[in-house]
Parts: sequence; structure tokens; C-alpha cells
Amino acid sequence: MDEEPERAKRWEGGYERTWEVLKEDESGSLRATVEDILFQAKRKRVFESHGQVRLGMMRHLYVVIDSSRTMEDQDLKPNRLTSTLKLMEYFVEEYFDQNPISQIGIITTKNKRAEKLTDLAGNPKKHIAAMKKAVNSMCVGEPSLYNALNIAMQTLKHMPGHTSREILVIFSSLTTCDPANIYDLIKTLKALKIRVSVIGLSAEVRVCTVLTRETGGNYNVILDESHFKELLMYHVKPPPASSSSECSLIRMGFPQHIIASLSDQDAKPSFSMSHLESSDGGPGLTLGGYYCPQCRAKYTELPVECKVCGLTLVSAPHLARSFHHLFPLDAFQEHPLEEHKGDRFCQACQGELKDKSVFTCPACSSVFCTDCDLFIHDTLHCCPSCIHRQGTS
Amino acid sequence: MKLNIDGLLVYFPYDYIYPEQYSYMLELKRTLDAKGHGVLEMPSGTGKTISLLSLIVAYQRTYPLEVTKLIYCSRTVPEIEKVIEELRKLMEFYTKETGEKNNFLALALSSRKNLCIHPEILHANIVVYSYHYLLDPKIADLVSKELAKKSVVVFDEAHNIDNVCIDSMSVNITRRTLDRCQTNVETLQNTIQRIKETDAAKLREEYRRLVEGLKEANVARETDIYLSNPVLPDEILQEAVPGSIRTAEHFVGFLKRFLEYLKARLRIHHVVQESSPQFLKDIYEKVCIDRKPLRFCAERLRSLLRTLEIADIADFSAVTLISNFATLVSTYSKGFTIIIEPFEDKTPTIVNPVLHFSCMDPSIAIKPVFERFQSVIITSGTLSPLDIYPRILDFRPVTMASFTMTLARTCLCPLIVGRGNDQVAMSSKFETREDFAVIRNYGNLLLEMSAIVPDGIVAFFTSYVYMENIVASWYEQGILENIQRNKLIFIETQDAAETSMALEKYQEACENGRGAILLSVARGKVSEGIDFVHHFGRAVIMFGVPYVYTQSRILKARLEYLRDQFQIRENDFLTFDAMRHAAQCVGRAIRGKTDYGLMIFADKRYARADKRGKLPRWIQEHITDGSLNLTIDETVQLSKHFLRQMAQPFRREDQLGLSLLTLEQLQSEEMLQKISQIAQQV
Repeated sequence: MDEEPERAKRWEGGYERTWEVLKEDESGSLRATVEDILFQAKRKRVFESHGQVRLGMMRHLYVVIDSSRTMEDQDLKPNRLTSTLKLMEYFVEEYFDQNPISQIGIITTKNKRAEKLTDLAGNPKKHIAAMKKAVNSMCVGEPSLYNALNIAMQTLKHMPGHTSREILVIFSSLTTCDPANIYDLIKTLKALKIRVSVIGLSAEVRVCTVLTRETGGNYNVILDESHFKELLMYHVKPPPASSSSECSLIRMGFPQHIIASLSDQDAKPSFSMSHLESSDGGPGLTLGGYYCPQCRAKYTELPVECKVCGLTLVSAPHLARSFHHLFPLDAFQEHPLEEHKGDRFCQACQGELKDKSVFTCPACSSVFCTDCDLFIHDTLHCCPSCIHRQGTS
Repeated sequence: MKLNIDGLLVYFPYDYIYPEQYSYMLELKRTLDAKGHGVLEMPSGTGKTISLLSLIVAYQRTYPLEVTKLIYCSRTVPEIEKVIEELRKLMEFYTKETGEKNNFLALALSSRKNLCIHPEILHANIVVYSYHYLLDPKIADLVSKELAKKSVVVFDEAHNIDNVCIDSMSVNITRRTLDRCQTNVETLQNTIQRIKETDAAKLREEYRRLVEGLKEANVARETDIYLSNPVLPDEILQEAVPGSIRTAEHFVGFLKRFLEYLKARLRIHHVVQESSPQFLKDIYEKVCIDRKPLRFCAERLRSLLRTLEIADIADFSAVTLISNFATLVSTYSKGFTIIIEPFEDKTPTIVNPVLHFSCMDPSIAIKPVFERFQSVIITSGTLSPLDIYPRILDFRPVTMASFTMTLARTCLCPLIVGRGNDQVAMSSKFETREDFAVIRNYGNLLLEMSAIVPDGIVAFFTSYVYMENIVASWYEQGILENIQRNKLIFIETQDAAETSMALEKYQEACENGRGAILLSVARGKVSEGIDFVHHFGRAVIMFGVPYVYTQSRILKARLEYLRDQFQIRENDFLTFDAMRHAAQCVGRAIRGKTDYGLMIFADKRYARADKRGKLPRWIQEHITDGSLNLTIDETVQLSKHFLRQMAQPFRREDQLGLSLLTLEQLQSEEMLQKISQIAQQV
């Protein structure tokens, strides 16, 4: 399913030992390769998300991007910073696609300091624009994990209890320069129920291990670009809500898009509320828009929190998109290939079943290969065979 | 779980077992069955201790008449505590499983304070203590002489056992020692004088006893109650204490004369090396001291101290040392050498004469142990090459085996770096060690590694002098400054307090994400006793091959002796010694199967088969042809790759069935087949 990572020129690739991947294990299964373990982890991840768990649908996520000296390392092409920001753009889009009623903010850290690139906000455009600008910034000095977490914490701690509070750190450096004991901060984060996950770009750093373990987050280290993307995408899915988080009903507005017809003489172009703040101009006056059902303020884009009355404005398709998180597709049953009877073709891709195990849908008993199993669960969120049957019946 | 080891029911207090533990227990059982000695090498962190304890305790319970006691010797107090912890677990498991009250008595002797334990030690089933209690003749006599013959003795972490043996038999005498001895003798004289006036009967009684000779001790030895003391040779027991030192005053006079002679010997301006017979001849000619009274010196002093009821023996350590020396020098004509140096090698201008009475044959100290106890097990994580230990300790083992570490993922990564990026060979060998390019390359290696290895790096140098030179040079070249941008630098020094301070701060820096490098020395305190688990040691860099300082006269004498007596060539022994220390150093990083670490050998000489071949098997088998003679660049690439791979999530389930087994998995035919390949008999 994953595309082959784009290969750089061979002479840029450093000393890679591609032959070692192909090497057969001479001592039997004694030395299972890391790839094998990784595959198992991948499967497990699919499984994990398939219980009937409560998910935090309204997410507040701060992404901390390390911009220290080490981000100039060229092991990701063209360098770590550019590569990271590119992936982040994609991530932000995906994030809002899958979590329409959530917010994101970006923090960078370099030179022993941390600063907000963007505040928590629900609009992808602003973040993406900020990140495009950040590509050209210098990477200098050391990062400060403490300062970055502290900034994020200052905002997140005011978020209501029924929303998730998350921090995702993309950490390239192997060191952090902290003004105070970070273990105290970890305790505070834990008490505030802020979940911190880390994606490491170089190697496992102890303080991150402790940080993620204590706050209930994930810690992963990338192997290459495609793995990086995979790990990042994993954070698109909403995390299970902790049982202690509050439940509350939320008022939401579902405004309709109204375009005043040009023939209507009363219609006057008006500003969108969200454009009042942004100084970058953009399309100022428009005729149509979404009008808040409560206060009639106008917005050109959804989802948004009404600037006037604070009502969350979404469109129905947005909510529908996060539906599959709540009712995920059941995990397929795994069987070894030898035990499988019947034709040896995957129902989805029609390819021959070659992996050591096959996957069966519990509802329609169709058989799928490993890649299709992952694709169905990660992307489609419904069994193609089941849908097909429904259509015919 | 309950295991069936070759027909023996073994209670194992964990739910899972490593395959190599099972294999280890099999070999151990065979050794005990054969009532012989064994040499077993198994990597640290694979549960050697619990395997040993479970099997031997099970053996004791099943065959109470065959094996009555387990004597477990370890090196340091923390290690002893670890053993006790495991033992406690095992005992709890027994109580839980069998439901009966535990009737095993275990005893740990951790500090010198608890020396007075005679009655208990006789009844304890398990005794855990330090090497010295068994090997050092001065202490062994007090603690261990009444241990039953049917005991199993285990020496854990025994890769340095020959040096412990030698140290326990060697005596160094400086002017200070002699001065303190002088004071001791005077105190003795005064005490004798006083007692003579108040309680003359006591001295007469002692005299009578001495006339009768050491019959008591002789009877004891013949009836096999005592462990023989190498300081007290057999012949002495059959004889009476010679008349010349029988009365207390005469003995003190004798000691004085001996002291004067030693003082005269220390007044020299050139190095003297002589054998024991030469020394005896000289002492006879100069001060008319015969060989015979000298031999009784240690025993006579002990008797005198007892008679005078002196409680604080520690004050009399100087005179005890001298008398032990007297006895040893007159007893052994072979295996010892006397070297008198007017000054230390490092400071040829300062007069500081030392008399080294140096033992060259480790088998002398350990011989009584091998002769007395039915099974002696020598085990450690690094005992390669296995066959050299029986040769230098002069015994015949029934089993010699080396076990590998079964791994679900390759968690150790030994790399041999032979060249810098400028292709200049890196080596600490004498001719090139001052070479600017070599020092710079070593610096670059550390710099590059400090940028890619997370948390802690431990770097070992071959000696303090070499470390000082290199670090000074790095400072001048600005390398040190660059390294400090990545990590903090800590240095081990000869001062123990300073070092432990540095170590504490080093660990703190590793813990809170600052990252640190510890520069230390092979054979130092750090290289032997301190573990760098997980983030405390993600990489170990061994700069150079840690050969012992070959110009030392003591070493030269020892090498000569090894060549003449055991047909071990100088070079073989030196390489063996260097490699076992290198293995010890790099082994600090891996302390278990969930741990991982880089092992970087920065010297092109490691690539040679004679060096590589002497590394423990569990390290050797991970050195591929592709990891020999790398440049710094290649090393960095391989390390980066390795560190990323190891950072991937690794859970217990990943190990299960491969390197961690449940009882069921253990019993499968296939697995038993695999297990039989883990042990490699030598």
C-alpha cells in the first residue's frame, strides 16, 4: 500500500545495506527482523482502534516542531525541516478532514527558546501559510522541550474538560536545554491530563520515553520518510477519551450557505467575521456565506467558532466524516494461509494470496490479503464486499 | 514454573525462561553429577544468578547427601545484594509451591563487621560472600575453614579470578609499612612486659602449647574439617615451633631483627630482583635468620596476639603483613619473585623504595579450594577464551561451555573502526599513539558519535596517562569544545570520591535529556563494577586495545613464569588479558535483552583474527565481515541505522517463543533441539 519512498540519488544515500534486508535468516527464526516486528505492530494498531471505545472528538492539539540545528541534517530529503514541514501541511489537512470540530496550533523551538507559530485555531489555511513561511527559517541552537511544553500547557489547561488536550512533539535533536527540572513539568502535564506524544527523528531519547509513558502518549522513532508519514498519520485519528474526562452536551449551529441573488437589490456585500482579524487581506467583501443561526454573524468557511456568540458552527458533512471513528469496521480474522480453503485470490485487489496469513471479514466471510486489510481499515472504513452485497440485495 | 532438567525437578520462580538459562542449568547439572569443576560463560543480563541458584538449591533438596552446601562468591557488595534478592524470590516460590515451611538457611556476609559467625555458617545451606573470604588466606582462615567438603563453590563474575588470587598472595612493603610495623613491635614488647608482671602464667601456658606443636591444627586437617590455608603449609603442622621463637620475648626480638634486615634491603639505589631461595640465603648470611623460624612466623604471631588478648587486630595489620611475608617467602621456593625498586617508574626522582613480594602463580591461592570442594563453578559474562582459565589456575574442569544470547532482535552492534575519514589507521599502539592524525581521528569519532547517539556514551581509554594526553590534545585542537555542544563531558579520575561524583552527575545528565559522555579507563573502577543500563550507555567506545603496562617488572616476571611453567606465550597472555578487559568494558552497555547498545572498538588491531577470536562468543557472533575496519563515516551511518531500528517499539510478545519461553514452549521438541545448540562445548 505504501509507495516506495522516493529514492534520492544513490550517491547521496549514505551507506545503506540493502542486501541485509534480503538476507535470509540462517539461524531459523531466531533473529526475527525488526521489519517483522514492525508489521506486527502495524496490525496491532489496527486492532487496537477497533474496540468500542469512547473517542475524543473535539481535539485540541499543539504540534511542537523542533527547529534546532539538527533539523538541517540531510537524512530526510532535502533536509529534515523541509521534509517535516511538507508532511505537516499534509497532516494539517488530513487532521481537519477527519476531525472537523477540532483545533490545532503550532509551536517551534530553537535556540533554547520556544515560540508559537500559530495559535490554536480551526482553520487549516492559516497554519499551512505559516508553515510555508517557516521553511526558509534558520535552524540554530538547541531545542527546549521544557519551554515548548510549557507554552502549549499554558493554553491547553484552559480548554474545557470534555475536549482532548494533546501535544505532539516532532523531535529531531537528541538533547534538550531546559530552564528547570522537566520531570516536574511532566508531573504537571499528567495532572492536567495533557497527552504528549513524540515522534523522534533520530533515536530514542530517555526523557521522551518518560514523558510519553507518564502522560499516556505514544513514542515512535522514524526509520525513513514513509515511516515518518505513517507515524504522523497515526495521530490524525482521535485518541480514546480517558474515562475520567467530562461528558457534556455541546450546542452546535448548522448554518446553511446562503447566497443573496444579485438581483436582490437589498443584498450588500459584507465582511466575513473571520476575515476581520486576519490582516492578510484575502477576499474581503462577499455576497454569500454562512450565517450563525444565533447571532447572524457571517462566515465564509466552516467549521468555525462564532466570534460573536461562541457557538460552534459546523456543517453536517463534517460530522458525518468523523462518524467512522465511532463505529469502526470490525477487525478481520487472521488465519494462516495453509488453513485457508477456497480460492486463493483477494476479494479486493484480485491478487494471489501470498502472505503467510489471510484476513476474513466476519460479516461476509470474504478473504483479503494483508495490504488490502490495512487499506480497508485505514482508508475505506467499510468492507467493499459487504457494500457490494447490500447493493445487489 | 517447574522444570525438568535432565530428570531433576527444578523450581524456577519466574513464569518465563530464557532458552540459554535452560541450557545453562543442563550443563550445571552435568557438572554437579560428575562431581567436578566447571567453567561456564554466559552473557550478563540473561539471568545467570537465578539459574545457578535454582538448580543448585534443587540439587541440594533432591540429593541432600551429595551436596550439602552452596558457597556463592561474588565480587562486590551490590552484587551480593542482588544474589540475596534473587534467593529470596526463589525461597518464596518454594514456600508457595510446596506449601511447607522453608527449612533452608542462607547467609550473606557483606561487610567485614560480620566476621564472627562460626556457629551459623556451619549450618547454613547457602552462603553468599565475597571472593576474599575464600581466597585471601588471611580472611579465609577466619571464615571459611570449616566449610564442608561436599559443598558447591560458585565464583561469579570470575573473569579476573587469577588477579584476585595473585593479589591475595602478594605483599608490598614500603618504608611506611616498616615504620608502622616498628610501632607494632614496640607495642607488643610493652604488652608482653606488662603481662609478664601481672600474669606470667599465661605466657608459660602459651609456651607449653607451642612445645606441643600445632598438633591440634594437624589433627583437624587430617580429619578433614578445615580448608587448608596456603599460608600454613602441611609440613609445619607436624613440627613444633622452633625454640628460637618460642618465648614471647625471643619472638619479638626475632621480629626486630627481621625488620632491621628489611629496612636495610630497602636502602638501595638500583632495582633488585631475586627469587625466594636467594632472599633466604641473603638473610641467613646477613642477620643469621634461619628458614625454619621464618616459616612459623605467621602462626607464632597469631598465637602471641591471642595470648596477649589483643582485640583490635586491625592495628596490627603491618606486623601481620610482615609475618605473612616471612612465612610465604620461606615456604614457597617457586611461583614467587621479590622485586625491590628504589622509586616508582612514573616518578624516578622521588625516592620511594618498595619491596614487591609478588605471586606469579594464581593456582597457589586457589589450589586448596579446588582440592577441598567437590564442585567449583567459575562463571562470568566474559570468560573467553575459556581454555586459558583451567591452564592458569591449574585444574581440570569436567565442563567448559560458552552460551550465546538468544535474541528476538539484534540488540548489540559491535563495530570495529580502523580508519578515520582521511584513511589514517587508528590505533593506540605505541609507535602511533602520539601521532597527531590518530588523536584527531579519535576525537572526530567521539564528536560524530556524540551527535547521533542519544543520552549516554561511555568511552574507555587504555590508561589514565593516555587519556590525559588525548584529552589535552583534543582541547588544543578545539575538538572538546565541539563535543560539548552535543553532550556534557565527565571524566573518571583515580580519586574514588571524585569519580562517584562524576558518575552521579553523568547519570543525571542522561536522565534529563542533556546527554553526557563519560571518559574512563579500562581496568578502572567504572569498567569493572558499574553497569550502564539502557539510556546510561547507548554506546561504548573503546579507544585502543587495553594492554596492561608491559614495562612493569612484576608483569615481566609473571609472563616469564607463565611461559616456563604453563607454556603460555607472553603475547597470548597479554592479548587475552587485553581482550577480556575490552570485553568487560563494552559489555557494560548491554545488561539484558530489552537493553540495546553500540559497541565500538576503535583500533584497527581488533579486526585481526587473534584479537577478535578472543572476544566472548555472544559478541563475536554479531561481528560480521562488513563491520570490520570501518571508517568514521561508515560507523556513523551504521550506528544511525541501528539506533533507529532499536527505537522501534519492542514488547514482551515479540520475545515470546524466540528468546523468552513459557513452560509449554520450552517442552516442544523443536525448541529443545534449538536449545542444544546454544551451549558450545570447548
